[in-house]
Amino acid sequence: MSEIDSLKAQLQDLQDKALALFADAADLKALQALRVAYLGKKGELTSVLKGVGKLPPQDRPVIGQFVNATKSVLAEALDKAESLLASKEKEARIDAERIDVTLSGRTSETGALHPVQQGLHEMTAIFAQMGFAMAEGPEIEDEFHNFDALNIPAEHPARANHDTFFFDIEGTADTKLLRTHTSPVQIRAMQACVDAGGEPPLAVVAAGRVYRCDYDVTHSPMFHQVEVFKVDKDVSLAHLKGVLQHFLSAYFEKDVPIRLRPHYFPFTEPSAEVDIGCVFCNHKGCRICKGSGWIEVLGSGMIHPNVLKAVGIDSSIYSGFAFGLGVERLVMLKHGIPDLRLFFENDVRFLRRMGA
Amino acid sequence: MKIPFSWLKEHCPIEKTPQEVADDLVRLGHEVEGIETPRAGVKGVRVGHIVEMKPHPDADKLKLLKIDLGDVEHLSIVCGASNMKAGDKVPVATVGTSLPNGLKIKKGKIRGEVSFGMCCSEAELGLAEDADGLLILPKDAPVGEEVGEYLELEEAVLDLDITPNRGDCMSLRGIARDLAADYALPLIEPGDEVVATDDSVAAPTVAIAASEDCPLYTACKIEGVKVSASPEWLQARLIAAGLRPINGVVDVINYTMLDLGQPMHAFDADTLDGNITVRTAKAGETFTSLEGKNVSLHDEDLVIADDKHVIALAGIMGSEPTGVTDKTSNIILESAAFRPARISITRRTCGLVSDSSMRFERGVDPAMIAVAMDQVAQMIVSLFGGQVSAITVVGDTDSLIKDTQIQVNMQRIESRLGIEVPKTADAVLERMGFGIEHDGDTLNFSVPSHRPDVRLAEDISEEYARVIGFDNIPAMMPTLTTIQPSKVDTGITDAVRLGFVQVINYAFISKAEQRLFVAEDDKDLVLPNPISEAMSVMRRSMFPSLLNTAKYNMNRQQTGVALVEQGRIYTGPLDEHTETNMLAWLITGDVQPDTWYAKSRKADFFDLKGAIESWLQGRGLTARFMADDGVLGLQAGQTAKIFIGKSVAGYIGKVDGDLADGFDLSDDVFVASINLDVLHTGKKAKFQPIPEFPSIERDLVFLFDKGVTSDAILQTVRKACGQQFVDASIFDLYDGQGVPEGKVSLGIRFVLQDAKRTLTQEDSDKVMQAVIDAVATKFKAELRG
Repeated sequence: MSEIDSLKAQLQDLQDKALALFADAADLKALQALRVAYLGKKGELTSVLKGVGKLPPQDRPVIGQFVNATKSVLAEALDKAESLLASKEKEARIDAERIDVTLSGRTSETGALHPVQQGLHEMTAIFAQMGFAMAEGPEIEDEFHNFDALNIPAEHPARANHDTFFFDIEGTADTKLLRTHTSPVQIRAMQACVDAGGEPPLAVVAAGRVYRCDYDVTHSPMFHQVEVFKVDKDVSLAHLKGVLQHFLSAYFEKDVPIRLRPHYFPFTEPSAEVDIGCVFCNHKGCRICKGSGWIEVLGSGMIHPNVLKAVGIDSSIYSGFAFGLGVERLVMLKHGIPDLRLFFENDVRFLRRMGA
Repeated sequence: MKIPFSWLKEHCPIEKTPQEVADDLVRLGHEVEGIETPRAGVKGVRVGHIVEMKPHPDADKLKLLKIDLGDVEHLSIVCGASNMKAGDKVPVATVGTSLPNGLKIKKGKIRGEVSFGMCCSEAELGLAEDADGLLILPKDAPVGEEVGEYLELEEAVLDLDITPNRGDCMSLRGIARDLAADYALPLIEPGDEVVATDDSVAAPTVAIAASEDCPLYTACKIEGVKVSASPEWLQARLIAAGLRPINGVVDVINYTMLDLGQPMHAFDADTLDGNITVRTAKAGETFTSLEGKNVSLHDEDLVIADDKHVIALAGIMGSEPTGVTDKTSNIILESAAFRPARISITRRTCGLVSDSSMRFERGVDPAMIAVAMDQVAQMIVSLFGGQVSAITVVGDTDSLIKDTQIQVNMQRIESRLGIEVPKTADAVLERMGFGIEHDGDTLNFSVPSHRPDVRLAEDISEEYARVIGFDNIPAMMPTLTTIQPSKVDTGITDAVRLGFVQVINYAFISKAEQRLFVAEDDKDLVLPNPISEAMSVMRRSMFPSLLNTAKYNMNRQQTGVALVEQGRIYTGPLDEHTETNMLAWLITGDVQPDTWYAKSRKADFFDLKGAIESWLQGRGLTARFMADDGVLGLQAGQTAKIFIGKSVAGYIGKVDGDLADGFDLSDDVFVASINLDVLHTGKKAKFQPIPEFPSIERDLVFLFDKGVTSDAILQTVRKACGQQFVDASIFDLYDGQGVPEGKVSLGIRFVLQDAKRTLTQEDSDKVMQAVIDAVATKFKAELRG
């Protein structure tokens, strides 16, 4: 066998052995060691190349070509084995990192807004969008603002319906009481406007706690009202109807039919009680609306001239509408809450369920 | 006001059904609370003819009856009553009937004799409170017919809620008038027959000494009355209308009040001493009401008096000794007008309410004074006999019942309604008794005496709105009023986002609970007539109600609660009280449940403090917390005042352990309150460029004496760092093994930065050395290992 043939055989042998080893390599680290062992500066192929120097010069290119071919075969095989192993190792890692994605997430305890508060926010937001400004007043009021200025003088039979918490003996304008409705804010807002030398237009929404000395299944001694009024030139009953229709549909998030029934309130003339088509049976008649298809939601009317007179607004120039609604009642209707007392028991299970 | 349908039809020939009429009344402004058929429960009771009556062989007091019900066979019934005889017609409850008193009729055997039903009394049919013996029906009652139908017992009764301005509708006639006008039907006028008077009976002498409160008083005397129970048709109507029959005279008066709206009164003439005077009460006078209640009178109260005593509280109630009883034979009838406001005030100050006062308060039509007097006198004479005196009249009837004229601009009414008034509306109003005359834009409106509530243009606009129908008024949006936009307060929403559940508690608490957090002084606002002692004083602290809510929930399967309430506290004195808007917090028990990634943990001071810091941060505010051992109800050493700038914005602390025990709360309870009214809004965020050069972080660990506050340490190190300071925070706190007694090891992490260059190791070494020196000087603290 010639020198060159022996070298060739040696290279072939080396290549076969190497390829077998590459295929068997357990991991990337082993493969890296094999790369060094075969293709490194002190690797086997290099030592074979060293033997080329002993060959006659005309044979050297031949064997050089052969060595280079072997080298590229090995390099290619190494790359291939490497990427195979890399993807295998990634797969293994992914397998190892597999988690139960159905386990609960890390949450922080969430709170809950009281349903009455949600109602207050929703309602006042609707009126704010319609251009009504927010106002507030004291909860401990006097007879003047709670009754007299609202055209409910001391001997008025309507006073009996108010079940008032008095702090003192009833009968003088500055006798203190817990306000029985949010209507005194109407008086205060109009007074503030007139005192500041201003004049209508005035459009106000006022919300807050009110108090009645009445405590049973359907009455709470404290509840919330929202009061809305507008005073301007040429304000009419038709405007009241328009605002009510918009508000009630916006609050209940659907087109609810409304019905105004003539009624009596001392502070409005004409006065109307407002019904909505029953939200439980879609106006068809059910147990809750007593078969009528209507549910009473609020009282309204055109502000009585005596009320405007009490605050110094000329009722021959200005007119206005006003209405007041019970927040708990509307929230109960919207969310199907059956019992008023739930609002003030403050059971967190109820509050969390209703809480947004 | 209860309106029996058949009675209503006597005032107006209505052909609609009760339900249709109810709907129309609602449209006209009368709230219908319901339609009742109160005596529908007598189905199965039929008219029976007693064809044979024999004594019971085995019992003296029982009778054996054979009853013809128009069926093939006669019915055998054993009966214990004694007022019937063979040939009478009686109501017979057949087997299977349930009577209004709950009795169910079954076949039975009484002393050996079989009975197939029961003959009924008025009481058993629910027609009267009690009765002796059977109800004997008229001879022409049709045998076999349902008694309910025969006696019109199953008729509908409309239950109306009459508004306070419509005194005129507190009667059958008043309601009928509105309906007749609406339906264009006639309103049937009461008989105009005048009662026959007898000059041999002396008319009562009456003087009015308070003519403003009593502009008209009429009276007559009837002698020789034999008072007995009123006839059953009359009793049945009273019961249907919700009144209890009392005696014949009183029943006739009540019947007429319901019928025409005029409340009247009858005195037993023989109990009176001298003449009748209408006057105001004298100081110290007392009065015993018909209900037996003793009332001390006020000097403004209007009374009817004889020469010695107050015999009635005018328009409200008669006195007990002068009332008509079964033994009365001579009576004096009163029919008068009283000023509504007077009746209203006396009714309230004396605490007496009657059907009469309810009508006088709301306004009674003076036109009915004479009509009612005639009707009552005639009914009494025809039912119970007697001779009637001439009628004494004091006061001017004509001026009382004349129409009131109002002149208004029609445009003003139309602009108030937002609609052009149709001509048809005038006709309806005219049928209601109003007079209408249009003269260009001017409306001349005349108001009859039964509508004292209509006085202003606005009142007229309401009458038009009523008859036009609110449904026929269009819905229009008003023009927007330009206003300052109001900033919506997000305080409570922000608190809820931090994991707290919002609660809403009553603003009144018990006096004992008030004392837990507010020391006794004279600034409590006490309700004189509270619902209960537990709700008797306006709260000056938010904490008691929060503790009660925590207790309520911890007793209901909660292992921890985090609560927040927004509300006011109220401080006296009454004449210059203050109301302060508060946000109050409570946290107790587990702050989170056991989970797969963490164990549950009990709430502590820093859970609540952190929430408050985050909440304040959301409003652009930073607070300082200063230990305060002097807060009532909170535990010394775990309580702090919350400062924002220089003002005290609130408190935070651990609730005293014994106090918490009092609310059954076994875990530590932490509460905080923030006065929302002292919070100014934080500064608006201002733009700052993101730093160009990197910051560096350095840690130092010191041994401090226990008791040195982190607030003091951080202030000191901040000062020592100078210009390059960005942040310093405690990242480690340790006082376990290896730390000497009385010391604590604190790790502080610094962030340093320079605006103009990258800081070098040398730069930060310099700063750290300054910190070490400052801490050594100020706190004698040493660097740890």
